[in-house]
Amino acid sequence: MTKKTKTRILIIANIINLILAVLFFVAASSAVEELKFAYVEKDTIRPDSLRSYLERENYGVVANLSHPIRGGYEPAEDDLDYFLLGEYADMLFLKEIYAETGKTQTAQDCEDRAAQIRAQIPEYAPIFDKIDLSAENSIPE
Amino acid sequence: MKCIGCGGEIGLTDEYCPHCGRKIEETAGYRGDLKNYKDKNAKTKKKLSQTISDNMSLVISAVVMVALLIGIAVAFYVSEEAYIFRYNALRKDAKKNYETYSVEIQRLLDAGDYAGFAAFKEYHNIAEWEEPYDDLRLLWEMTEEFISLAGSVESVAMFGPEARWYRPDQDVDSCQDAIRDFYHEYEYRQADIEADPYAAYIHDMKREADAILKVYLGLDDAEREAFLNASDIEETAYLEEVLVHDEEN
Repeated sequence: MTKKTKTRILIIANIINLILAVLFFVAASSAVEELKFAYVEKDTIRPDSLRSYLERENYGVVANLSHPIRGGYEPAEDDLDYFLLGEYADMLFLKEIYAETGKTQTAQDCEDRAAQIRAQIPEYAPIFDKIDLSAENSIPE
Repeated sequence: MKCIGCGGEIGLTDEYCPHCGRKIEETAGYRGDLKNYKDKNAKTKKKLSQTISDNMSLVISAVVMVALLIGIAVAFYVSEEAYIFRYNALRKDAKKNYETYSVEIQRLLDAGDYAGFAAFKEYHNIAEWEEPYDDLRLLWEMTEEFISLAGSVESVAMFGPEARWYRPDQDVDSCQDAIRDFYHEYEYRQADIEADPYAAYIHDMKREADAILKVYLGLDDAEREAFLNASDIEETAYLEEVLVHDEEN
């Protein structure tokens, strides 16, 4: 193999290595990001669904979708309010069940948590009022 | 071998006898061959060293290329399997934090907060099918049925004043199925429930299910029994009457 050929091969190999290095960097970053995600479903689809059901005033579904926050899930900052609104609706729903089964302390805890959420995001007062109304109407006369 | 002059011990490569000083002619040919071999060996080494030196940059380049290809393959594999890695890591964490998690689970169960228990268990990937959480298995299976019942009633019961409800029929059907499934499981698994260490909580869960039907569907004990023994059409008709009461929905 002549020196000229070797030099050519070396240049081509270095160019390939450079491309591979960029690819490696991209792939490694992507892998790290993937490992950071708790659940793709929770991080992307769930907040979208929450927003959609909130707009449609389906507060029961919003309450159901917000359940992970009660287990310790920490939503992205932009999505936190939606989860809190869902949790608020959930608290109102559960409170009645605990009161009916005589679990007064748990019912009180639900009420306290609902009040806490209201105080935490007061800018959603109109939605809270609608949720209150939906909770009242959910109990047949 | 021995010196033919003095009989002393001499080496194969000795040029003179170390005992009598005689020049050893008998192994001259061998010594010549050895010298040629050594020279040739030195030349080969020098050539090899030169070849390596000339191609070192190519070798390094090839090694880097192979390393990068392996790295890319590993990174893609990790990306694809990230969910599994994380899932397993959380499961291991749940095992490691058994004592802490058990205290929290007990607190939720004592409060009758089965929805909270379900959320906690799911978020922390607590595996009820393996130690040390395997005693939660039946409780968890019943909790899933209960959460399904509570969730489906909650979903069809709570609507805002300007709500848009796209599929009332399907939602009422889901609600009906969830109610039926919970009570069926509770009755069908009575023997297992009685033998379970968490039997008291499962019975309490049933009381909460009764409360849901009473509060949100207006069914007292006798009406609930009648509802559960009614035909499919009668059940649906009742749920639609109670839940789909607002025509605007």
